Amino acid sequence: MNIIKKYIPLTIVFIFGIITLASYYVPHRASDEYLEWINKWENIVSAFALFLGMISLFYSHYKKIQRKVDGWGYSLFVYIGFFIIMGAAILSKGNISKEGKLTYLGWSFNNIFNPLSATMFSVLAFFIISTAYRSFKIKSFAAFLLFICGLILMLGNIPLGEIIWDKVFGWTKLTIGEIKDWIISVPSTAGRRGIMIGIAIGAAVTSLKIIFGIERGYMGKE
Amino acid sequence: MKEKLNKILKLDRRYLFVLLTLSIVIPIIKPIGIPSKSISTSVKDTYNFIENLPEGSTIILSLDYDPSTAPELHPMASAVLKHAFKKNIKVIILTFIAGSGGLIDELVRTIPPQYSKEYGKDYVVLPYMANPLAALTQMASDIHSFYDKDINNKPLKDYEMMKNIKNYKDVAGVIGITGTALLDYWVVYVGDKYGVPILGGVTAISQVGYGPYLQKKQLKGLIGGMKGAAEYEKLISQPWKGTSGIDALNIAHILVIVFIIFSNIVLLILKFL
Repeated sequence: MNIIKKYIPLTIVFIFGIITLASYYVPHRASDEYLEWINKWENIVSAFALFLGMISLFYSHYKKIQRKVDGWGYSLFVYIGFFIIMGAAILSKGNISKEGKLTYLGWSFNNIFNPLSATMFSVLAFFIISTAYRSFKIKSFAAFLLFICGLILMLGNIPLGEIIWDKVFGWTKLTIGEIKDWIISVPSTAGRRGIMIGIAIGAAVTSLKIIFGIERGYMGKE
Repeated sequence: MKEKLNKILKLDRRYLFVLLTLSIVIPIIKPIGIPSKSISTSVKDTYNFIENLPEGSTIILSLDYDPSTAPELHPMASAVLKHAFKKNIKVIILTFIAGSGGLIDELVRTIPPQYSKEYGKDYVVLPYMANPLAALTQMASDIHSFYDKDINNKPLKDYEMMKNIKNYKDVAGVIGITGTALLDYWVVYVGDKYGVPILGGVTAISQVGYGPYLQKKQLKGLIGGMKGAAEYEKLISQPWKGTSGIDALNIAHILVIVFIIFSNIVLLILKFL
């Protein structure tokens, strides 16, 4: 059992990890052909992952309904929404519009998915306004700096901000756009670059640990 | 006095919600029309890139957003597509976001007829792909081996504009409009590796994160948020939802700033009472 559960997966990961890594750096026809081949495999595996995800989603919501946990009624909508859109997609053969007219799928997209998705995201604005009023307390120098940067970026993102800035700070001969650009390209870029380098090194180290079998979390529990 | 101020600080959040709703709804119903005074450098760079492309060039327009970020990104996509068609540039539209189908459909139903553009000759739409990394690396060797059919399930090779397009060497650039990290993928896996000019359109909140790419010219241009969309619409002289939406954004942003300042002034007074 150890061979099937442990050594075979580790060998597969090692072989494909090393070849894929090498193919990225070796500019040869064989590398391209390998990548083309592995990409097709990746797509097939992704499709199965999507299918597994769907089963897992349905199962977890089925359990919620079965146990009648708090808010179990919402779980019903997972099924209702899925089957409505699925039915519309089948009837429309996957087309959103045909000869300039919306199909059932197109109608569902425009009148169900579109407003629901936009509403979910819009709710964020209400959280932001509430947090801005109740929680953004400038109690330290760091918080003050954060407020100043946020203020400049917010003013720089709207035409009204430009007008207000010119009226109040026009004497400085600096525009809000210039200050915003400086914040983005100097302090923010420095911080962002540091984070990006850190993430890249971390990802490289984790990948190597997976390839060499040190990190085995993906194999699940023993 | 102290009690009153404390009461103000603990104001029922529903009042704030009503104020925010009004600040967004009123400018949408009755636009104020505050014009953008300046144009950001990165937006101008994006405009100039398309403006300076020779007629008949082909660009890839990667539209990776769904309705949640559409208010900011859809006007950008529309403006870029209009500009490309105005300059007689051919466009390959693709997406890696399943929820973008309806939005892309809306663009290709409404914009090409305005410029008398023909499907297959001036633009094509590729189907949704679940695996962006595979698509980005694969298109470097042969686009047709990965996307053998278009969104209408017809062979891509049959279309006139696709006959001379094999890989990234045959496209003049990529414009990735996205509310996800897909623009980073375009920069890292396509721009840096194959030398293809990459430009982008992102939400205002993620715009700040693209500073390193812009500074090193890994990104040749960037349209940021609704203001960027409004600026681009101004550059092509075709105001649309970016321009009309900026009014609502104006008031909502000012409201947030006023609330932060007001609550902190109250807090400061409380400290000395």
